[in-house]
Amino acid sequence: MSDWPEPAVDYVQAIADTKLVLGHRNAQWSLAGPSLEDDIGGASAAQEEIGHFRQFVNELASQGREKDWLNGKRNAEEFNNAACLDRIDGDWPAYVASIAPADRAAWYMIDSIAVEHLDGLITKMGEDEYFHLEYHDARLETLAEDDPEGIQSTLETTLPQALAFIGPAEYDKETDPLIQAGFTNRSITEIREAFEEHYRNLFAETDVSLDGVDWDAPVREEWDEVRRRVGGGSIGEADARQLRGTENELFAMD
Amino acid sequence: MKYEVFARINQGDETLHIGNVRAQNDRLARMYAHNTFDEEDWNYLAVVRAEDLIEVTGERPTARVSADE
Repeated sequence: MSDWPEPAVDYVQAIADTKLVLGHRNAQWSLAGPSLEDDIGGASAAQEEIGHFRQFVNELASQGREKDWLNGKRNAEEFNNAACLDRIDGDWPAYVASIAPADRAAWYMIDSIAVEHLDGLITKMGEDEYFHLEYHDARLETLAEDDPEGIQSTLETTLPQALAFIGPAEYDKETDPLIQAGFTNRSITEIREAFEEHYRNLFAETDVSLDGVDWDAPVREEWDEVRRRVGGGSIGEADARQLRGTENELFAMD
Repeated sequence: MKYEVFARINQGDETLHIGNVRAQNDRLARMYAHNTFDEEDWNYLAVVRAEDLIEVTGERPTARVSADE
């Protein structure tokens, strides 16, 4: 018998899968950065994101989800990660402008969870996330100077995808099912407002314009509430195979 | 821009120079220092722009006499 309402389990599942794919993307790009310091930061963040994922796996298993399935034995379209992580289209600046919105959205969603026994876990994650998000913002500031067109173009795709991950604008204090269930203490509407305000402030004094971003996404009627996205799509089969660890099963320890 | 990195492990310890990083701005330098020098759970970690560091000692006296003196 699940202690959490089903929408809450789906909410945490989407956050967990986003953490898993964030770790995967960070690891993939951790030798591609412009400096050794960027590579070290990416490798360090990869480990921490996978650590956060594993903590959520334990919580989801206690809510009845099957552990092997959680740990990757599933099809690519069963990973409910933020859509902006499905693939990185472009070079290193595109990678930063793809992972940053997903990581910030995931943190705002985690920070809104009001389940007492998760307090310690969320506090620890917040200590890690402070440095992840501060690094992303510091890097986006410099990239906004170096490559404003590239950053703007990527954000016009990834910010609406991150907003879809957070949820539809219509979910305010009165209608958000997780607020109503007492699982969160901050509505989707409030999270979206904080998210939008953050990025508008970050790029206010730069050549990156966010006027072309669809800040109203997603359309409620088109939104998949389990996968927290619109229009389907998923990580690639090669990603799913790596996340399952199929090729390396021989080396797994019981 | 080059930044010198200083740290101490425990409150009351001496703050030591542990290395340097290069970054485009102060904010990025803080994060680079945090990520690069994470071998300890520092009580204190700071970066200083190398150009702002005023050395008190370390310049060797010279007995060299220039040719036109």
